[in-house]
Amino acid sequence: MLTAQILAVLIFVTMFVLVVMDKIERHIVTLACGLMTLVLVFGVGMQSMSAVMETLNLRSIFTVGFWYSVGAEESTAGINWATIIFIAGMMVMVEGMAEAGFFRWLCMKLAKMVNYKPVPLFVVFMIMSAVLSMFIDSITVILFLAAVTVELAKLLKLNPVPMILAEIFCANLGGSATMCGDPPNIIIGTSLGYSFADFVMNTGVIAGISLIVILVYFYIVYRKALIPKDGKVIDPATMPNPKEAIKSKKDLAISVIIFAVAIVLLVTHAMTHLTVAFIGAVVAVATLLTAGKDAIMLLKKVDYKTLVFFIGLFMVVGGLEQTGVLEVIAEWIGNVSGGNYKVMIAIIIWISAVASAFVDNIPFAATMIPVIKSLAATTGADLSVLAWGLSMGTDIGGSATPIGASANVVGTAVAAKNGYPIGWGKYCKTAAPATIIVILISMAVIFVRYF
Amino acid sequence: MGDKQLIISISREFGTYGHHIAAMVAEDLGINLYDRALLDEIAEENGIDAKHLEKYDERPKIPIISRKVRGHSNSMEDALFHMQSEFLKKKADSGESFVVVGRCAESVLKGREGLITIFILGDELTKLQDVKKKFNLSDKEALKKMRRHDLKRKAYHNRHSAVKWGDSRGYDLCINDSKLGIEKTVELIERYIEERTRG
Repeated sequence: MLTAQILAVLIFVTMFVLVVMDKIERHIVTLACGLMTLVLVFGVGMQSMSAVMETLNLRSIFTVGFWYSVGAEESTAGINWATIIFIAGMMVMVEGMAEAGFFRWLCMKLAKMVNYKPVPLFVVFMIMSAVLSMFIDSITVILFLAAVTVELAKLLKLNPVPMILAEIFCANLGGSATMCGDPPNIIIGTSLGYSFADFVMNTGVIAGISLIVILVYFYIVYRKALIPKDGKVIDPATMPNPKEAIKSKKDLAISVIIFAVAIVLLVTHAMTHLTVAFIGAVVAVATLLTAGKDAIMLLKKVDYKTLVFFIGLFMVVGGLEQTGVLEVIAEWIGNVSGGNYKVMIAIIIWISAVASAFVDNIPFAATMIPVIKSLAATTGADLSVLAWGLSMGTDIGGSATPIGASANVVGTAVAAKNGYPIGWGKYCKTAAPATIIVILISMAVIFVRYF
Repeated sequence: MGDKQLIISISREFGTYGHHIAAMVAEDLGINLYDRALLDEIAEENGIDAKHLEKYDERPKIPIISRKVRGHSNSMEDALFHMQSEFLKKKADSGESFVVVGRCAESVLKGREGLITIFILGDELTKLQDVKKKFNLSDKEALKKMRRHDLKRKAYHNRHSAVKWGDSRGYDLCINDSKLGIEKTVELIERYIEERTRG
């Protein structure tokens, strides 16, 4: 087993380094490392065909529990197909919404509603970023929001950077509020059997409190930047018309209905027992059926690289899991905390936050799930509390630096492409303190509520 | 040269007179030269301080401090490359004739009518003597500086171009300026341009 453990760790470290180096596309890295895990760790090291089958986990898709599950059911080890199918389904739905012009229309409509006044616009866009990111991946939210922000800021003679930075932070914060908001939450939810409502009642409460504090925080730090350079009052008639963003009224209506159905299904899935994999499949099929001849085009736009990235990642983490490496880490956390649950939570939140600030939070969360499972089993700690700590740590920690989360990368990239480069200094100056504030709020809420 | 648009892209090894040669060609042809100074134009257009951009100019991205998500890179070096590329494409679209030094212009503007791509190289010893004199350095220091700059240019170029930096297959003309000197190299380039634009 020792050989298999060493190989699993070596492959995992190689994967992490290669992902960080960014020389080879990350989906190729994880897939290659995943295949190496199957061959070297399970084949050569463990000589176990059952470990290969458990990690590939294909059988789970053909069980009723995968689509319709009564009671909280934890997924088995290996590739988390529920996460992959849900993300794929949501990707198809989001592509349909984007194609209909939904996101640009919504941004422009809200801007018009606040008469393009900088401070209300700033607040509304932050809230919109958080709310949309509760249901839609933050990359898409920021991609549209940052582009519209740049466009409006140019017309309003404002620097768009403060607004974009605040929107990015709120997207990550909104994502932490629900099971489907951020990939780590989807993995945590599907792996540990938590529902949408479980997340809303726990991480959602923390995110809600944090959002109020963060709105005030960003207003205080950026209030001077929200004063237009020439001080002129903008005539709303000269601004872009929200209706122009709509490519087809019919498509827009259909995409909004599908989106609403997705939200209803997600909110009620603990009652209906429909799993997130089922919901993902339903919204994808509905989007494709209503798209008509555009269905192929929507399918082509799906980010398959991210899906492959997930598959490879789960295989590599499966290697660590099957060889018992993650139990060693769990044991270490248990020993360091001396059995004190508060210290245990603090370690999980802060390690997750610091790690997620510098490395992709998805592999980190995927690795930590078996760790907290093992920790709960060996120390008797409440698994759900550890899960909320892990969720807040990974989701929020990623906000601290320009590379911590996908939304940060996309937001700063959109700003830079439009002539507003954002370096580490400018980014971290406001985002790092905001991250620390939210992590402290998370810790405080968890300590007060669960201990 | 007639009314036809002319875009001369000059790439160069560190220590050659590539930049000087580009400036002379631009002056002789009476067209604009876009080099490091194009940062000023980009900065002015976007209301940024040009000094803020300089440290990212013609440099490869540092992998650990930046990431790429769905084709969107937040590396400052990539962002500046994108801005410079857009600037050059806009100039090319406007029909303006110009000489551009470095910035992967031969790849960015590939396929444009009127594009002539040139790579200027030099003998190691000649470049070393020139760098030593110009920067008042010892042999070792000068060599180190040359290697460092060329490595950066190569990494920057190869990140953004399908053709390798300095590979003769990627350029119309490759000239060793140590052999001919500045004046003759300029003459040769101008003769080549004349031949290319004739008729």
